Amino acid sequence: MKYLTGLLLAIVLCGCETVQPWERGILSKDEMQWQSNVMESRLRNQVYASKEGSSGGPGAAGGGCGCN
Amino acid sequence: MASRQDDLNKTLVALTSSAFLLPAYQSAMADAPPEFTEIGTRYSKYKEDDISAKKAFGGRSERYDIDVAQFYLLAPVSDDWSVALDVSWEDMSGASPWFVGESIEADDAKVIMSGASIEDTRTEVSVTTRYYFDSGNAGFNYTYSDEDDYESKALSLDGSINSEDGLTTYSAAVSASDDDITPTQGAYPTNTLDATKDVRSAWLGVTQIVSKRALVRFGLSYTYRDGFLTDPYKYLDDRPDERKEWTVSAGYRYFLEEPNAALHVDYRYFDDDWGIASQTVDVAWVQTFKDTTVSPFIRYYSQDEADFFSNIDYEDTDYFSDDYRLSAFGAFSYGLRLSHEIGNWSINADAERYQTDESWGVYGGEESPGLVEFWRYGVGLNYAFK
Amino acid sequence: MGRIEHRFKAMGGPCCLRLDANDDVMAKRAIAAAVAEVVRLEKKYSRYLDDSLTSQINRAAGAGVPVPIDHETSALLSYANTVWEESQGLFDLTSGVLRLAWDFKSGRCPNQLEIDALLPLVGWDLVQREEGSVYLPRAGMELDFGGCVKEYAADSAAMQLRRSGVTSGLIDLAGDMAAFGTPQGNVSGTSGWPVGIRHPVEKDKAVAGVNLPEGGLASSGDYERCLHIDGKRYGHILHPHTGWPVQGLIAVSVLAAQCIVAGSSATIAMLKPADEALDWLDNLGLPWLAIDVDLNCHGSLVASQQLSPG
Repeated sequence: MKYLTGLLLAIVLCGCETVQPWERGILSKDEMQWQSNVMESRLRNQVYASKEGSSGGPGAAGGGCGCN
Repeated sequence: MASRQDDLNKTLVALTSSAFLLPAYQSAMADAPPEFTEIGTRYSKYKEDDISAKKAFGGRSERYDIDVAQFYLLAPVSDDWSVALDVSWEDMSGASPWFVGESIEADDAKVIMSGASIEDTRTEVSVTTRYYFDSGNAGFNYTYSDEDDYESKALSLDGSINSEDGLTTYSAAVSASDDDITPTQGAYPTNTLDATKDVRSAWLGVTQIVSKRALVRFGLSYTYRDGFLTDPYKYLDDRPDERKEWTVSAGYRYFLEEPNAALHVDYRYFDDDWGIASQTVDVAWVQTFKDTTVSPFIRYYSQDEADFFSNIDYEDTDYFSDDYRLSAFGAFSYGLRLSHEIGNWSINADAERYQTDESWGVYGGEESPGLVEFWRYGVGLNYAFK
Repeated sequence: MGRIEHRFKAMGGPCCLRLDANDDVMAKRAIAAAVAEVVRLEKKYSRYLDDSLTSQINRAAGAGVPVPIDHETSALLSYANTVWEESQGLFDLTSGVLRLAWDFKSGRCPNQLEIDALLPLVGWDLVQREEGSVYLPRAGMELDFGGCVKEYAADSAAMQLRRSGVTSGLIDLAGDMAAFGTPQGNVSGTSGWPVGIRHPVEKDKAVAGVNLPEGGLASSGDYERCLHIDGKRYGHILHPHTGWPVQGLIAVSVLAAQCIVAGSSATIAMLKPADEALDWLDNLGLPWLAIDVDLNCHGSLVASQQLSPG
C-alpha cells in the first residue's frame, strides 16, 4: 500500500505544471479547500469514528469521547 | 519585440529585474491569517434507525439520538497570529446494544439492547492558536471534552511549510490525549469503575499543486492507544489494552470552469493490530450557482472484522467483543450540502443517510445484528465581519 | 455570466476595471480587492494627502531624523534608483519640486533666478537610503512617487484580481493599464484585451489599437499641460539638471511585461531630446509608439496599428 502511494506520488509530482502565484486564484477558492465547513466536517468525522471500527486520516487523532 | 530579441537590452533587463523585487511581483506567497473575524453556529440532529424486531430480543427498539449545538469563532489577532474557538454541546439519549445472544427459534444472533434509556450530555471546548510565517504556519490546539462518564484532555501541534516555489506544502502533526472513563452505574455491573486511556498520534502529509485547477494531498498517520479500550457497558466485552493504527490517505481536488464546480475525491486505507483493516472513498461534487452552492456527496466504507470479534462467545479466547463496530461490514452514505450567501451572511444546511450491510463489504466475516443505520441533518449560520 | 465593468475614480483620474467571471460573488470580491489595492497605494504614496507616507518623508526633509519605511517602499525606492541609473539621472523622484517655479496655468515663464533657487533641492544622489529608512537631507526637498506608483498600482491591482480567481481582466488607471488572460468572446486567433492609445490632440480618437496580452501598457504625454510663449512650446516634463522643459516628444506609449516597466520606459523617453528618444526606444526592444511635436507617429506599434474608433 505504501509503495503504491509512493508510486502515485512520484507520478503526480512528475506530471505537475509550474503554476505561478498569480495563477493560483482557482486553487484558493472556497470549494477547492480540503475541508468545506469546519463545524460540519468535525461532526461528520466524529460520527463516523464512533460508529465504525477505524478512524483518523488527514491530521493527528484528537481527543476522544465516550460516544457509542 | 520584433528585431532585437537576441541581445536583450541591458536597460530592460535592469528595470525588469528591479521591478520583480516589488511585493506585487513576488513569487513566494506568505501564509497569512484570515483577513476578518468569522463566527458560526450550527444545530444538528443525529438519529439512528430503530433496531428491527428481527434483530433484537424484546422486539423493535429505539436506538441512539443526539442533538448537537455548535459554535465557532475564527479571528485574526495580528498580522501573523489567529485564534479559533470551537464549542459543542451534545445531548444524547436512547439505547445501545448490550450484548448479542443466540435466538432459540431460528439459528441466528440477536442483540439485547441496554434496558434503561441512556441520558448524557457532552461539552467540548477546543482552542487553536495559529502562527503564520513567510513560508508556512504552525498551530497549537487544546481540546477538553466532558460528559458524565468520560473526560478527555488533548493537546496537538501541527505545522506546514511551503516549498520555495509554493507548489508543494509539507505538513506534520502530533497529538496526545489523556482520557478518563468513569462509567455510570446502573442495574448491571460495568466492565470498570474507573479507568484511563492514553492516545498518541502523528501525521505527515504532502500537498501538491498539480495544475491551475488541481490539487493533490497524500498523508500517513500512526496512532497508538494505550489503556482501557474495552467498552465499559457491553456485557462480556474484553479487548486488548493496546492498539496500533496506521492510515494512508490521498485526496484530490479538481475545478471545472465550465459548470463552475469542484470535484472532491478522498481515499483512506486503515490498518491496525487488532485485525481491522478498512477502506473509505468519499466523493463530492461542489456546484456553485451565483451565491448558492449545492454539493451532493457519496461515501463508501468497508471494514474487516477484529480478530477477537464474534457474535457469540463460543471459543475460549483471550479477548472477546460482539460490538458491531468491530465486525465486518460495508456502508454507503450519501447526502447533500447546501449553502447560500447573502452579503456577509452564509446560511447552510445538510442531510446525510448512512446505511450498512454485511454483504456490501469487500471483506468477509460474520454479520452482526447490531449494525447501525442513521440520518444526520443540520442547519448553520455563519457571519464574516468584513 | 460574462463581462463585468467597474468604473471608479482614483489616483487623480478615471479608472476602469474589466473582467470576465462566471461567479458573481467571486467577481464582486475580486473587484473590491483590486479597488482596495489602488486606494491603499494612493493613500500611502500620494503627495496630496497629508497623512501619506510621502508627506511624512517630505515633512521630515532637513529635520535630521530618517523616516522609517516598510519593505514595499524600500523596494519602490530601489526600483526608482535603477531607473535613475538607467536614464543617466533623467528620471529623478526629487525633481517634482521644480513645479513650484512652473505654473502652467498662469502662462508665465519663470526667470532663471527662480529656477536656480530650486535646483539645489533636486538630486536623487542626495537621498539617504538606509535599510528600513529614508531621509531627505535638505529642507524643502520632496519625493514624488507619481512617476511610478500609478503603474505599480495597475500591476498590483491586476495581481489582486488574479489571486481572487479571475482568469482574465484589464485594469485601466487613467491610461496606465495592466491586463492578463484572454477575454471571453475574442475573435478567433486574437488574444489579449483590445485597447486604444489615445490621440494626443483629438482626445476621442485613437492613434492605435493594440491587443494587450499579459502585461502592461503605459503612456506618458506632454500635451495636456504646456505653455506657448513667443512661439516656443514649453512642456511640463522638466529636465532635473536644468529645471527647464525638455524639448522632446509629446507622447510616448510602451508595452511591457509589467506596467511599471512600461511606464518608466515611456517617462525616460519623454525626458530625452526627440531624436535621441526615438533611438533609445528602438533599442529597448519593447513595442512602442511615439508622437513628435509635428504629430508624426513613430515606433513599432504604428505598423501594426488597427485603428478603431474611440
